[in-house]
Amino acid sequence: MIRAIAWFCADHHGVFVPGGRSWQKPSPALSPSAEILALIGRPVNYYARMTIESRFCLCAASVALGATGWRESANPEIGLACAGSDGCLAANQEYFRDYVACGRALGRGNLFIYTLPTSVLGEVAIVLSLTGPSLFIHDDVRPLPALARHAQQLVADGEADGMLALWSDSQAALCMTVEAGDDDKAISALLSKPDSSPSRLARDFQLMVQQV
Amino acid sequence: MNIVIAQSDVATAYGWGLDALWNGLLSGKTAIRPTERFAERGFLSNQVAMIPGLEVEKGESRAMAMLRRLLPRGVGKIDPSTPLILATTVGEIEYIERAILNGRPDLAADARPQVLLRRVKRLLGLNGPGLVYSSACASSAAAVTRAASMIRRGEAKKVLVVTCDAVSEFVYSGFSTLLSLCEEPARPFDAQRSGLTLGEAAAWALLSSDDALDSNSAASILGWGNTTDAVHMTAPDRNAVGLSRAIAKACAMAGRSAGEVSFIAAHGTATRYSDAMELLAFSGAITEPKPIFSLKGGVGHTLAATGLVQLLVAGRAMSHGLVPATVGLLTPDPSAVEWAHDAPVPLGRAPLALSTNSGFGGVNTAILLGGGAQS
Repeated sequence: MIRAIAWFCADHHGVFVPGGRSWQKPSPALSPSAEILALIGRPVNYYARMTIESRFCLCAASVALGATGWRESANPEIGLACAGSDGCLAANQEYFRDYVACGRALGRGNLFIYTLPTSVLGEVAIVLSLTGPSLFIHDDVRPLPALARHAQQLVADGEADGMLALWSDSQAALCMTVEAGDDDKAISALLSKPDSSPSRLARDFQLMVQQV
Repeated sequence: MNIVIAQSDVATAYGWGLDALWNGLLSGKTAIRPTERFAERGFLSNQVAMIPGLEVEKGESRAMAMLRRLLPRGVGKIDPSTPLILATTVGEIEYIERAILNGRPDLAADARPQVLLRRVKRLLGLNGPGLVYSSACASSAAAVTRAASMIRRGEAKKVLVVTCDAVSEFVYSGFSTLLSLCEEPARPFDAQRSGLTLGEAAAWALLSSDDALDSNSAASILGWGNTTDAVHMTAPDRNAVGLSRAIAKACAMAGRSAGEVSFIAAHGTATRYSDAMELLAFSGAITEPKPIFSLKGGVGHTLAATGLVQLLVAGRAMSHGLVPATVGLLTPDPSAVEWAHDAPVPLGRAPLALSTNSGFGGVNTAILLGGGAQS
């Protein structure tokens, strides 16, 4: 089941918890600040180095994790899964464009490390100490419902006690907290909408929380 | 229900097919060669393991060229509704290179992994579910675990796993930047190892439940574990906690103890820290040394593909009763003595194999393999 869905975009962030405490607030600026670090709630050594998408994902994952209570159980093994129609296309272009501009002999390591679809998950795992599986899973027809389903299967298979499933682009990130059990039908319907871009879904969840 | 590797094929720098790979490893000679391809770039190394005789059509990617030749050799006969999992790290990255070098930004979108997925489905005439699966250099091993899970839970009787990664300027420059490349062919588990050599490979495996098996198989997937170190973006956890947990999970799922493992198909990149981390995990889980091998002195580090290629070699090792040597090994690292060997090691009956992979972002996958099944 999807226990909570958190989102983070430039204007607003929050979390929708079916039958629980949902909230939404204006977002702080994404630049390194005490406000951002308080939202993440853990020490972050390399926040300034992270790509914008990594920052969105880290913030959304931090909000989501805070809504679960998973931290209260002993050493939960929490995994990470992500999907996105572009993979890490923007990061790949940034690395190679910079490498060419710098003379095509030496690239920048801090750009190269983001050129994998799972790079974002690596950063989130380090900051939030998440030690379950880390996977990019992209279904060619219905990527978002498939991401949630595969995250649920990893929990059902005993590969993790819970999963954070991230759906992001350069505008916003959504983070679902996934446990064993049946889904909320309203959430499932939202995830199956034709326009399921992270920004659009963030707005939908913001409206749902305002109505609650 | 047993989950088996029912059919498979592979292309590496040793050539096309598992026989070429197996014989290449047994020869003890490396398929890594100097290349002029990046001569003007001033990278740390000019060593590379590329697939021989690969014909790339105009506008095509090397990854697709590999798959176009490899897949129709055997996959063409399967049910078109068979689910497909494509495992890759950078896929058709040349489209990014071409977009930027040739001022053709429209080409960049073709580097997205789902574009390659669609091309593979079209090539094979598949109309079933399709997934891209990526977990850095553990990608194809992780894809095998997902395929096995799908079969075990009854979602499918058979699942096709396809994997590929090609040598590109994009990746070569990145590893050169990270000071990870060795000036000479890589020497996994050697005391004097100094880095990895990049290689390329493509492989596929049709996983099946044994009750749907229509040919003999060389190996069964008995258990697996996927974990993350959560320590560093590129370096492994020097305490090997993540890989140790992956091994423990694989053994627990299989209902076997690590002490029963007969041999290990190791990731063995030949970087100092990664090899040391693996050896620490192995010696922590298995007190008595068991033969280990790495493919990377022979065919280089083939990124996403390396996990599946290891599994295919481990299956061949079980059916032939022989663990291949680690090509390039001269003097084992002190912690690899009695584990890594410079000559093949005979196996006893009913062997149990462990295959491990690790990658950027701290990912780890361990898979426990048993003997095959007869149809």
